[in-house]
Amino acid sequence: MEFEFRHGKIKFNRELSNLDKLTIRFTKVLKRQKIDYVIISGYIAILFGRSRNTEDVDLFIEKIDKKRFFSFWKELGEEGFECVNTSNPDDAYDSYINDELALRFAVKGTIIPNFELKFSKTKYNIYSLKHKVEVSINNEIINTSELEMQIAFKLKLGSEKDFEDARHLYKVFKEHLNIGLLTSHMAELKVEKRAEKILWGKG
Amino acid sequence: MGKGLKLTKKDLKELEKEIASNRKQRMEFIDMYAEWLKKTPNKVWSRQQNKLLNK
Repeated sequence: MEFEFRHGKIKFNRELSNLDKLTIRFTKVLKRQKIDYVIISGYIAILFGRSRNTEDVDLFIEKIDKKRFFSFWKELGEEGFECVNTSNPDDAYDSYINDELALRFAVKGTIIPNFELKFSKTKYNIYSLKHKVEVSINNEIINTSELEMQIAFKLKLGSEKDFEDARHLYKVFKEHLNIGLLTSHMAELKVEKRAEKILWGKG
Repeated sequence: MGKGLKLTKKDLKELEKEIASNRKQRMEFIDMYAEWLKKTPNKVWSRQQNKLLNK
């Protein structure tokens, strides 16, 4: 894998998958709407080569008011996306995203893959948004979670798939990771024992 | 309709051993794959990955 890892930014070029193209298309709407976002979870492992697929791309976005949300909703529609949960933007805002429930958007007439959006609310969400990493893929920019946090959080989530994603990211990037930061996140999330087995051990 | 699966303690122990062994083998594959990924040009690995992703 050829990439540049510099000043908290990752730059690389590769053949884009349909999921990459869709993710770039979706995040461009967020960018045009000036909505701060960060991609978390499984897509990051896939972005960096993991040999698995996913049905959704998870994102945290900054909390926005209803007016900005409606503008975002409108542009998503113009871009060919629709909300899977509801067709009513008022309901989407009041009963879902502003009520700590995820909203899912997919290409019109489809249900997967979809983009799962939540407002950043918890300390973990806010940290992820604040410490996001800019990834340049074929000169298109997407914001992803800091790798050290992503690995630690995958250990916290605890499914087989999450453990494999954590190990994949660790093995691919270990020469570039801030190990002090990683161990600090693991201590905060209380996953040191899991790390001993999943990251440092034989699984 | 069958009688359903009946497992003894010994059977369950055997199953747990098999699950642990599968997990270990999956992790070994992750390691092997990550090593391959690191030494393989992006164009090559991404093309292979896309065969899976773009199905």
